[in-house]
Order: sequence, then C-alpha cells, then structure tokens
Amino acid sequence: MVHARAAHSASARMISPVRSRDTPSGNSPATREIVRRLISGRPPHTKRGDTPARAAASACDNLYRELSRWVGADGCHALFTRALAETRPDQPALGKIRLHPKSEAYIDGIADSIIAYGDPETATALESVLVRLVELLGRLIGDDMAGKLIDRTFGDSRHGSEDTREEA
Amino acid sequence: MKETEHTPIRSLPSGVPGFDIVVGGGLPEYSFNLIAGGPGSGKTILAHQIMFANATVERPALYFTVLGEPTLKMLRYQRQFSYFDPDLAGSAIQFVNLSAEVVERSLGEVLDRIVAETERAKPGIVVVDSFRTISGHGNAIAPLELDQFVQRLALHLTTWETTSFLLGEYAVEEQRNPVFTVADGIFWLSQATDRNSVVRKLQVVKTRGRAPMPGLHTFRITDDGLQVFPRIPEHARLRHEQERRRLSTGVPGMDEMIGGGIVAGDAVMLTGPAGSGKSTVATQFIAEGLRQGETAVIAVFEEYPEDYLARADARDSDVGRMIRDGKLELIYLRPLDLSVDEALAAILEAVDRLGATRIVIDSLSGFEVALAPTFREDFRESLYRLVGTLTATGVTVFMTAEAAEGFGDARFTSEKVSFITDEIIVQRYVEIKGELLRVMAVIKMRGSDHSHEFRLYDITANGVVVGEPLKEYDGIITGVPTVRPTSSRPKRSK
Repeated sequence: MVHARAAHSASARMISPVRSRDTPSGNSPATREIVRRLISGRPPHTKRGDTPARAAASACDNLYRELSRWVGADGCHALFTRALAETRPDQPALGKIRLHPKSEAYIDGIADSIIAYGDPETATALESVLVRLVELLGRLIGDDMAGKLIDRTFGDSRHGSEDTREEA
Repeated sequence: MKETEHTPIRSLPSGVPGFDIVVGGGLPEYSFNLIAGGPGSGKTILAHQIMFANATVERPALYFTVLGEPTLKMLRYQRQFSYFDPDLAGSAIQFVNLSAEVVERSLGEVLDRIVAETERAKPGIVVVDSFRTISGHGNAIAPLELDQFVQRLALHLTTWETTSFLLGEYAVEEQRNPVFTVADGIFWLSQATDRNSVVRKLQVVKTRGRAPMPGLHTFRITDDGLQVFPRIPEHARLRHEQERRRLSTGVPGMDEMIGGGIVAGDAVMLTGPAGSGKSTVATQFIAEGLRQGETAVIAVFEEYPEDYLARADARDSDVGRMIRDGKLELIYLRPLDLSVDEALAAILEAVDRLGATRIVIDSLSGFEVALAPTFREDFRESLYRLVGTLTATGVTVFMTAEAAEGFGDARFTSEKVSFITDEIIVQRYVEIKGELLRVMAVIKMRGSDHSHEFRLYDITANGVVVGEPLKEYDGIITGVPTVRPTSSRPKRSK
C-alpha cells in the first residue's frame, strides 16, 4: 500500500456543505413534519384556547426559548430574524409580526395580524417562518443534526412543562 | 500498622492518538482540567474528541459555550471532523449556552446555572468553552471572587463525578490565575513559528496522580482531529532483543564486503553522491527481504511514491507486486513542516501493520529538508531518536544519505549523523584514465570484520553489481587515483 502522508492533505480537502441523507430541506415533507410536531407537541399548558395562529406563535415562542438554551439567545434571534425576513415577501400576514428577544412572548403582533389577515393566513405565515428556520438550521449544521436537536428541544420542553405542572 | 488501601483512579481514553501516552496513561476520571493555548491552537477540537470518545446517553457530555465561538458555527465546523457523530448531538452530547448569564448576571448565577444543568443531565464530561470569557469578563470581578468561583466550580463538578475541561486563551505569564492552581491537569497547546513553518506542540504542564511524559510533543490537526506524536514512543521503551543473524543485501558482491550481510537489527547508512545508485541498492535490499518472505517499509522523502515505484518496478517487478500483496508499504513523507516524531509515528504504524523487518529511509538528506526548521537545527538529536526507536523494535534500518561531491573532499559521511549508525558504506566517483567510474567501500561495521578495499561497481538493468577491488591504484580516496607502475587496468564487473 502506498501511503501519502503530507501536511497539506488535510487542507486540500474541499469542505463540503453540510448536507446529509434524509435531507428535510427545501420545504420538504420532512421539514413540514418537524414543524407540525413543533406545533402539535407544544407543552399542554400553552395549548388552552389556541387558535391555529396562536398555536403557531406559541410554537415559535417555545422553539426560541428552548433553542436559546444551546445556541444562545443572540444566535437563536439571528436565525428567527433571517427566517422572518426571507418569508415576509411571500406572506403579507407577517407584516405586523415583530420579534422581541429575551421576552416571555417572543412573537409579537399576533392579534393585529389576525385582525388584518385572519387567523388561517397568520397561522400559515408563521408556519412558513418555522419551515424556513428549520431549513436554515439544516444548511448550517446539517439537516440530520438540526432535526435531532429540534426534536430534542421539543422533548425537553415537554419534560420541562410536566415538571412545572408537577411542582404546581 | 494497618496497610493503607490503594484506590486506583480510573483513566478515561481521550480519543486522541498519542495523547494518552503523553498524559501518563489516560485522563484521570473526575479530574478538573484546563486546556490552555492561543487562538487556533486546537483547544475546541481536543475537547470535542474527548467528548465524543466518552459520552453516552446515560452519561452524557455537557458542553457549555460562552461568548467565544457561536455554537452554530462551532457545530458547523466541528462536524467536518471524522470523530463528530451527529447522532450523539443533542442526546449524548448536549450544548448549553451561558452567554446571557455571563453578560447580564453575576459569577454566582453562572455557577448556579452550571450546577443546575449538571444536576439535570448528570454528565460524565463537562466542558466550558471559553472559561476565559467567564473569568476575564469585564474588570468588575475581584480576584477573591474569582478564586472562590473556581474553587466552588471545581468542587461541584468533582462532587457530581464529572471529568471537566475548562478551555481558555491564556498566556504563559498568566499562570498565577487561580484556575491554574485548582486544576488537576493543565494541557498547553501552542504553535511555534519558525521562518515560514509552524509546528504545533502539546505540553502536559501538570497532571495530578499521573506521571506525564515530559517535554514538548508535536501534534497535527487533520480531518480526524488531533494526533499527538509522543517524544518517546512506546516502542523505544520496549527494546526488542534479537540474535545477530546476517541479512543479505541482495547486491551481488556487497554481502562479501560486509562480512556476510547486514546484521539484523542494525542501522546501516549508505552514502554517496547524486546518481551513485543509493536508491537502487536500497531497493535491492528490500527486494531481497521480500524474496526471503520478510515484509518491509520504505519511507520516501525526495520522490513522489508513484515515480519511486515505477523506477523500482523497472528493475525488479517484485516490488510493485509486493505492495499490492500487502508485503511492502511505501510511505511518502514530504511536508516541509514535518516533525521527527510525526515521521517516526508514520513509520512505526506501518512497521506494526505489516510486522516489517526491513526499513529503508530514502533519504536522510530529504528527511532533513522535510523537517520543520526547528527540528533541522537539532537534526542529530532528531535522527538519534528516529534511529534509536526504530532499531529498538528489532527492524533493520537502511538509510541513504547524499554525500557532498568533490574529488578533493575526503569526508566519507556526514559527521553529523554517522555516530548513530552501526554500519557505513560509501560510494564515490573516481576518474581513471579519463573515465568516470563508481567505487564502493565499507567504512564501519560495528562488532564485525569487513572489507577494507575500494571496489568498482556498476549499475546494470538488474541493479547494482559489485566488481573487482582497485588494488592497483593509489589515491582513490582523492577521486583521482594514480596507477602503480606495474599494474594494469582492473577488470570491471559484467
């Protein structure tokens, strides 16, 4: 066997974009499924009296809070900011939506948006933001890892809420 | 008096080749360690390798990120390395961001968060990256407050039976920082720049309960992460004794000159000017070993392996076939910032893989050039360690070296390196009757008789063939011999 062992072998390798099998990017069914789980799997105490738009907003709040634990509030806000900016041109209902970092209700302007565009339109718009965010995360760290971390986030938040209810 | 019971401390594997040997047998479990070094020195990579080598879902690793490299970017870059298993991220390896606590809250609250997360996850490994941004954030932290914070952090982490690693960009003069006092282990990573070359080095400054290997150990960062090259490889400490049997060189006439062959386990140096057939003899030595059923390694420094192989195949087709059959390995070592320890590690790996008994290093001159300048300055010491370690394994080392050409130059070998060899054979050009001829002589055979003659040799299609001695000439050593009055031209080999 011929072994070429040179220092430049490592640097010569092209760093490929993070992309793996089972890619949920590109608004794929897999991405939609992750978002669906995010919305339907919210902690029970956040579900009462939800309309579809409020459920989607609550999922955003929840994802922001849980994702901030490991990427930091600033990193998470940067992801949401870009996702919102890229989705807004196709979703007029996002015109009244604002992001409030480090506050309890991260997504603001839901009521105004529902009044102006209706609940279904607002819900669809917020789901699009979540889809774009999952795609973006996948492009940065790989779809497989993004999916796992979001699932993990979702799991943690459920456990956290169960703990809270037990304490209460 | 009752005999005290010795409680052994379990060692964790670092997952970094060569690191555990340097640390003294692995990382002490539940130790509180500092990985220090400048930007780009490999601290984060080392911590990730340790995490991925040890983390499980039951005993996960907690990676606290602070203000330094954003988590997303860190993950993006880290997953390019082969040790990174995305399946473990989020479960066996959990990331927690502490930026908000560090920026907006007190050290006490930072500690509370770390302790709370530790209680929640019950990790086996904890990493804080970068600790420097916690301990050095702003000017508001009083030295006593920092002392107490470090003490409490160490106590909590050890109480929770975690092995922890604080990462930080520290300078050597900062070693009075309390974290240096409290730490059980300090691993210092550095990059030494010499002219255009950069060499990465690891120093184990401290490990409690362990006897680390002293000195600076070079390491390289590749797609697989860090690889450390210990200054004293294990092979050097486990010397292999063997009987002094003779190995044929495969060069007709040469075995006779050296008393029946090269002594097995010896280091042989063949020196000569350009074009004198050094590589040819080396290849014959290897081919002969392969014919005898041995396995071999050739370390090439000057030529690309494909060229070397093509040339060797042109003379002896066995070589190419033996490579394909796994009997011979050709190692190409040509980076210009090579460390002697790295070269040694590559050769030893191949020797172990094949169970090789013959090694060719072709050539020492190329090896010297391939070394980073810092090692070239200590070439004698570098070569001493290389040859000493290789021969300790019991293999026979055949090295070639280019000699300075010049008929008036009576030096046979480089005086820098001849002391490390057991046998020295020299090749020279001589001018006889207006013709440039090649001669060979044995200069040194440790503990063995040998020929003292200059012998003519030819490079034929089948390799080097040693011919008759030049008994009728004087002054061969000068390169321009003179014929004795009654002598005639010696017969050359066919």
